[in-house]
Amino acid sequence: MTKLNRRTLLKTGAAGLAASSVLGTPLIAQTRSLKIGSYGGYFEDSFKEFVYPAFTDATGIAVESVTQPNSTDWLVTMQQATAAGSVPADLSLYARDTLIKASRIGGLLKPLNLAAMPAAGNLDPYFVFEAPEGALGVGAMSWFTAMVINPGEVDVPASWADFWDSSIYEASLGLSRNYNSQFLDIVAATFFDGEETFKNDEGILALIEKAAEIKPNVALWWSAESQMEQSMKNGDVIGGQYYLDVANLMAADGFPIKPVFPKEGNPQDYGSWCLSSLSDKADEAAEFINFSSDPATQALMSRKIGTAPLLDQSKTDLTDEEFAFVSGTPSIRPAYEAYLDKETFIKESWDKMLAGA
Amino acid sequence: MTAVERIEAEMPDRPARARPTPRRILPWLLSVVIGVLCVVPFLLVIAISFGRKIEGAAWQWDFTLANYQRFFVGALWPDEVTFLYLQQLGFSFWYAVIASLLAVLTALPFTLLLTRLSRRAQAAWLVFILSSLSLSEVFIVMGWDILLSNNSGLPALIKSTGLTQWLKDVGWFQTLRDWGLASPRNVKFKTSQFATILTMSYLVWPYAVILLYPALSRLDRSQSEAARTMGAGGWTVARTVILPAIRLPLFGSTLLLFVFLLGTYVAVTVFAAPAQHTTAVAIYSNIRGANLNAPFGATQAVILLLAAGLCLTLGHRLNRWAEAR
Repeated sequence: MTKLNRRTLLKTGAAGLAASSVLGTPLIAQTRSLKIGSYGGYFEDSFKEFVYPAFTDATGIAVESVTQPNSTDWLVTMQQATAAGSVPADLSLYARDTLIKASRIGGLLKPLNLAAMPAAGNLDPYFVFEAPEGALGVGAMSWFTAMVINPGEVDVPASWADFWDSSIYEASLGLSRNYNSQFLDIVAATFFDGEETFKNDEGILALIEKAAEIKPNVALWWSAESQMEQSMKNGDVIGGQYYLDVANLMAADGFPIKPVFPKEGNPQDYGSWCLSSLSDKADEAAEFINFSSDPATQALMSRKIGTAPLLDQSKTDLTDEEFAFVSGTPSIRPAYEAYLDKETFIKESWDKMLAGA
Repeated sequence: MTAVERIEAEMPDRPARARPTPRRILPWLLSVVIGVLCVVPFLLVIAISFGRKIEGAAWQWDFTLANYQRFFVGALWPDEVTFLYLQQLGFSFWYAVIASLLAVLTALPFTLLLTRLSRRAQAAWLVFILSSLSLSEVFIVMGWDILLSNNSGLPALIKSTGLTQWLKDVGWFQTLRDWGLASPRNVKFKTSQFATILTMSYLVWPYAVILLYPALSRLDRSQSEAARTMGAGGWTVARTVILPAIRLPLFGSTLLLFVFLLGTYVAVTVFAAPAQHTTAVAIYSNIRGANLNAPFGATQAVILLLAAGLCLTLGHRLNRWAEAR
């Protein structure tokens, strides 16, 4: 498989341009291309190495990879770029909360033509985001934030509730600091009625109150993924919440970390392909989303990138072992709408709880 | 002939308009550049701080004082009052004051000894200290992060020398746990105010030396020697001769480092517990995409700036008052 990166793309692009100047213009019209954003680092590298080349082989559409820092900060970039009239990417990868936010801001996304992407019908309908103006996002891949422990220090807990036990976990856990990083969903699934509890202010305050009880056990409230990675490696924390795929990669490298699916499950989030409102590559984008929704591509991403497929394991050729590496049951679905509808209320209450103010 | 007429008569004829020469244009050009690069963004921040957040989406231009109100009493006022943001501002000042004092007070004896070395040794030290300024905050924080880590840093050393066990045996370990400086297994320095302040003063220590060096190197040593021959001890000389002579640079350096440290971000995010986070961290968490509340972030930035300005003014007044006495 040829390795396609920015450099070779530029080279082939330059060669193509040179050739076209000799042969005349029609050649330029034949080169179809698409700029696709994905989270930088290992994630984007894997896309450039495995997914985009397979897509180009299948369709002849060249892909230019664009680095996104993450989903949320990319929205700021795209918002400003859209206002300025020129966007850096045709397709962006947004997590569901960012996608909903983008649809509420309005004018940032172009509705997708689902008829042009039959393979998207394979996905669970939950992963196709419909707004009044049409489908704004189709699921790309999903990921779990799992319970992790240091197997050398503690036994595998049966429930998230075990983390509240100070006799085992005093000053030993690493949890995410952001109010919307799904710890409240874990609390809701473990001690309350799940998503229902987010319906009113009292329910949310009860969740935050329960979360406050775990504070003596938390050594690290991490804001960047790398902080938690280092702390698990260094033994500063012996458990917490962390991305399932990265935890599995770290465990495979011999670090003392073990992801666990306790009885309440782990929160599952997913990324969607979304088309910029300023893009004129709707057809190419539809072809790419169709390709990405194909069971074979979903399996390829699971194997090479470590993301969970958006369709049933039986539709893919993933083995049980491969599937367990990237997914598990049960899955906790985050209360996305509540986080957005009551944004300021939840953020301030959560920050107050953390600050003890 | 009146005075005016005489002056007019004596004045040579001059062209109606001065011809634009590069020397005349340059200051104007520079003013425009400074205006565009500094004043415009600054005005933008102030303007945004009056904007309005739309729940679940972004924000829009407006003129509301709600963000300023939120800073002092919280978003849920009048149903509920919180001083969360004032507490964060308090921690900004607390860390900056302690860390800048610590840096200047430890840099002072060092710099004093430095000025007594040979020219060659002084130059070597200064080059070394200047080059250490090229390390970014991220790099320094990463270094201290490793130095304070359980398996690779100070806690590992404390454990392997048997100090942890000894602390447990004499019962002091429980006190450390109460202070949040130990887990049941070992001592820990992350997260703690100790680690935060240590890293912050390390961050500005080279600046402290460089700021104090000119004043200390100009100290007239004969004064100290005179005091000594009159029977003053080392401490008395330091207190009555050296310190009064360098009071101004000492005060100025502390103030400068203090202002510099008010905006520290990485060290606080990594080493401070969320209960002790500062305004700088809160600003970022509001502006970034997860929240998209740039108006409230801008409000916090404006208030931080005003508070810092107030401190500088007070410092200046205090200094003038001390001078006058």
